[in-house]
Amino acid sequence: MNKRWLAALVTVLAVIALAAFGAAAHSSSTQNGGTFKIGTSSRIDSLNPYVAFNQDAYNTFEYVYPLLVQYDKSNSHFAPDFATSWKSSNGGKTWTFKTRANAVWSDGKPLTAKDAAWTINTDLKYASGGAANAAGLVAHIKRASAPNATTLVVRYTKAAGNVLGQFQQLAILPQHVWSKYTGHKGNDLKTFSNSPLVGAGPFKLVKFKKNDIALFQRNDSFYGEKPKADGFGLRMFSNEDTLVAALKAHEIDAIESVPGTAIKTLRAGFNIRSAPGVDQTDFIINSNPKKTAHRELLSLKVKEAMAHAVDRKQIIKVVFLGYAKPASTIIPPATGAWHNPSVEPEKFDLSLANKLLDQAGLKKGKDGIRRASGHKMSYAVITPTDVPSTNRTFQILQPDFRKIGINLTQRALDSTAAFDAMTAPNNKYLKFDLALWDWVGLIDPDFMLSVVTCAQYAGWNDSGYCNPRYDKMYSQQQLTPNQAKRKQVVWKMQKYLYGQKPYIWLAAQDAVWAVSKNWGGLVASPQGPFNSISKISLTRVHQQ
Amino acid sequence: MRGADYIVKRVVFALLTVFVAITINFALFRLAPGSAVTNLARVPHATPETRLAIKRQFGLDKSKFQQYWIYLGQLFRGNLGVSFANSQPVATNLRTALINTIPMVLIGTVFAILLGTLTGVIAAWRRGTKAEGASVTTALAFYSMPTHWLGLMLVILFAGVLPTGGMSNEFLLNPSFSTHVKDLAEHIALPSLTLGLVLYGEYTLIVRSAMLETLGEDYILTARAKGFRAGAILRRHALRNAMLPIATLVALSLGYIVAGAILVETVFSWPGLGRAVYDAVLQRDYPMLQGAFLLLTISVVFFNLVADLLYFKLDPRITT
Amino acid sequence: MSVVLQEPVALDDSVPVRSRRGIVWETVKRRPSAAVGAGVLLLVVLGAVLAPVLAPYDLHKQVGPVFGHPSWSHPLGLDDGGIDMVTLLMWGARISLVVGFAATFVSMVIGGTIGVAAGYFGGKVDTVLMRITDYFLVIPDVPLMIIVAAIWGPSLFHIVIVIGILLWTSTARVIRAQVKSVRERVYVKRARSLGASHTRVVFRHVLPQVAPLLIANTVLTIAVAIFDETALSFLGLGDPSRISLGKVIENAFQRAAISTGAWWAIVPPGALVAVIILGCSLLGGTIEDALNPRLRVAHLSARSFRLRPLVGRGPEAL
Repeated sequence: MNKRWLAALVTVLAVIALAAFGAAAHSSSTQNGGTFKIGTSSRIDSLNPYVAFNQDAYNTFEYVYPLLVQYDKSNSHFAPDFATSWKSSNGGKTWTFKTRANAVWSDGKPLTAKDAAWTINTDLKYASGGAANAAGLVAHIKRASAPNATTLVVRYTKAAGNVLGQFQQLAILPQHVWSKYTGHKGNDLKTFSNSPLVGAGPFKLVKFKKNDIALFQRNDSFYGEKPKADGFGLRMFSNEDTLVAALKAHEIDAIESVPGTAIKTLRAGFNIRSAPGVDQTDFIINSNPKKTAHRELLSLKVKEAMAHAVDRKQIIKVVFLGYAKPASTIIPPATGAWHNPSVEPEKFDLSLANKLLDQAGLKKGKDGIRRASGHKMSYAVITPTDVPSTNRTFQILQPDFRKIGINLTQRALDSTAAFDAMTAPNNKYLKFDLALWDWVGLIDPDFMLSVVTCAQYAGWNDSGYCNPRYDKMYSQQQLTPNQAKRKQVVWKMQKYLYGQKPYIWLAAQDAVWAVSKNWGGLVASPQGPFNSISKISLTRVHQQ
Repeated sequence: MRGADYIVKRVVFALLTVFVAITINFALFRLAPGSAVTNLARVPHATPETRLAIKRQFGLDKSKFQQYWIYLGQLFRGNLGVSFANSQPVATNLRTALINTIPMVLIGTVFAILLGTLTGVIAAWRRGTKAEGASVTTALAFYSMPTHWLGLMLVILFAGVLPTGGMSNEFLLNPSFSTHVKDLAEHIALPSLTLGLVLYGEYTLIVRSAMLETLGEDYILTARAKGFRAGAILRRHALRNAMLPIATLVALSLGYIVAGAILVETVFSWPGLGRAVYDAVLQRDYPMLQGAFLLLTISVVFFNLVADLLYFKLDPRITT
Repeated sequence: MSVVLQEPVALDDSVPVRSRRGIVWETVKRRPSAAVGAGVLLLVVLGAVLAPVLAPYDLHKQVGPVFGHPSWSHPLGLDDGGIDMVTLLMWGARISLVVGFAATFVSMVIGGTIGVAAGYFGGKVDTVLMRITDYFLVIPDVPLMIIVAAIWGPSLFHIVIVIGILLWTSTARVIRAQVKSVRERVYVKRARSLGASHTRVVFRHVLPQVAPLLIANTVLTIAVAIFDETALSFLGLGDPSRISLGKVIENAFQRAAISTGAWWAIVPPGALVAVIILGCSLLGGTIEDALNPRLRVAHLSARSFRLRPLVGRGPEAL
């Protein structure tokens, strides 16, 4: 017994020693025929477009599925993808798309306008069931049809203003694969594992392991511009620290979103690029007009005073290490023309804030805290633990608010519980006062503008804001097909919201990414180089 | 029949515990704030109908009591339900995660047992010497370190030398067998070492105690007095008797280690069971949580039972 | 039930009563490892208690750049919010210790009550209580802690309660075994027959006998509680408004301290936790050892495996 035991011990020690030795001797691995390796601390939560939630999943769909349109290199105008041209008729109620001829799915079956029509009609049919994830994208559509293989006709109930913006997000699925999964009132659409994935984008998904790896190979039968690299991979890390360590060790070639603190050290060996982003942090003030407690927070004067107590400069310096801009409106500057530049952030001015509160008749007590209709102005700020920036942001806000006589306490919850606490009870938005969070917008403003509408109660609304006047403007922009006119409405809405302040916008974060010096050709975007805006970036990436 | 009675008692208790666990798990997750529908229905432009449809799909519109019966019925048929988060069967999700966790945990545990036994035996045999002091101090030091922090220290030490994340380098396309094995070994080295070092500290202390106890027995003292060779005494008597608590300990810890690997998995991006549980908590993925919890409870109960029976078999003094 | 091995071995009756009462102090005086443990703990507790006086900077004040390097004015550098690390360590230890003590108190109250009740009354009470204890022993407690902490929301109070209600089993078992043996002693029986109430017997005769072991158990439980708090904080379930040592580690790790080279934000807090746990282990372990050297092994039996927190903290708390 003893000898066997000893032998086992020696063997194990030897293996460990060998592993350590082997590791020490081994240098960075060889270039595997040009596979661009991206690291992320987020992940692809599902390969099924009817289930997926995370941005990385939507980025993946952009590259493996055909979409009708995409944005161009400037990220502001629509460019052809599966559709080569489009026009609207019937006063904007009918849209006709010319699609690519001779396109094929990765399993060899033809890809035609019929697939597009089927996808749209399926999403319509099961909008309140299995296809709920895509329901917003097909709003106002009556029906889609494909008179021939290269023509798609979409009819709307009303002339819609953001048709292309919606189709830019709608992945077209292969009818011959997915039509088998419409059982149980469409709920089978969600339980389908979508593996192996039949796509038609510039890349094919060849390997997927949850929380680990997604590996893509060039799709040589892609209808559009062929990728330069042989493929790319997405490695999913559970934390940012080892993600950065992996880049430094050249296990990966790029990080799609670099933590601010790591930028300085990565500058030495990597190319750091940044672009204005669509991720903005916000300070939410419960603006539910039917709110019962703490109604002083509905006063525009109080809201304005709070806005003047926000030290955006300090937040940007400490939380984002300079990689952010002061934010002022619900539509971030990175969306280009949609952002209203005349809406500027409130000045950080504590004495002005104090003056405003004094004017509002909110007197300070002996403890320095103001009183509003008998109670102390002391509020809990809900901070979601999965948005780490909210923690340090709170630490900066608290002492400044204290100086204007408002006491803030932090109430950290994970995002599910936080959202529940904000909408409680039963989606009436009565129980919370303040919160910190962020919003990741799209380039088309429709979605961001929708989150403060009454219709989004129990949906995306996280401020309790509900105002018929605003809702009217919202549907007006939705139904203005002329984009220049629509822009004017959108600008007006931003100005209006700035005055109403359901949110005090804090910082518009830059998208910052790091790339190995061996790779070039990535295209910048507000969502970083791996995005759901266009297929351009990873198609153009190449070794150098 | 002392044996049959004892075994039946232990098995019945084990089954009962599992049943209680099932019930408590069910209740625990339903009573929690942060409803599953919040997460499920966070789709753009969700209408009240959508939310209701989602509720209905997952049976959340029924009364809690009905849900419990449905849950029991499904369990009885071996159906753990469908994950809220990715709409895949819970059993599939759990299997994938478990398969990833087991090798890492196993290597760490084996490492800990071997090293722990070795240093524990040395400490006991050389009682009162510097060897004991060194062995015990080192063991206590590792035992005292927070697991994740020890992992982070290894990351600081080995970053750039050994990979600090993931299970393998998936970018090696069609690697040769030896490259593949080397790659796997490199990736598993740090997580397993972290786990191994923490466990080793504890094993050393326990083996030492067990050995001290045995070494104090009369027959060992006699053997020593008679001038038997040290090695022979250790091997033939002391170690063999000390194996009893050690074996028990190993059987028991196996049940917990899988549950406990969560910190290691978070540090080293290991796509295992611990992370699956953690993700499920954040997403309020009740079916997944219930499944994972059931799996963990069953494994703990099972290894407890194994330890009980092992003890029964090895120690003739046990009576019912 | 297999009484021989599944029950913790009771205190050796040959130890005179008087000396056992002073045994905690005696042990600390005589055994160097206990003295070291006690010394270390005392130092940490002093630093933590005096944090408001001794801490060189304001805990909430940014005094330099994010992850500022160690310097003369900041010997351990700055954290990811530009806050002085020495200050953070002192205040962090304070919160960690508070969690440790409070959670231990909760578990002592629960475990002590159940242990005394089960041991003193015996019979059906004993059976039922021990079944409950058995059930808690096989619950995978760390996943449960994570679930409850996540669902209730991260706050210091929740953490204390969660840790407390999952740690009491070892206490209950130790106490029960001791109470059982004390109850059989002649003078206890005599007191009972003279008409002393249960409460009086328990408080006057039973508890003083069990006290030294309870102290050892407490010290070891504190270590477990502090460890658990550190682990929960690391998983983002700590109270963000009360910076414990675990939270300091988590904050730094969240913002990539290691790959940024800011080791000073992550090494010292973890080392301090290790030192505290080491101190507790040395002190508690040695007292237990002195009380009964055989205790350690004797109850390494199947179900009472997790009797001693040393074992109990181990694998399942990773």
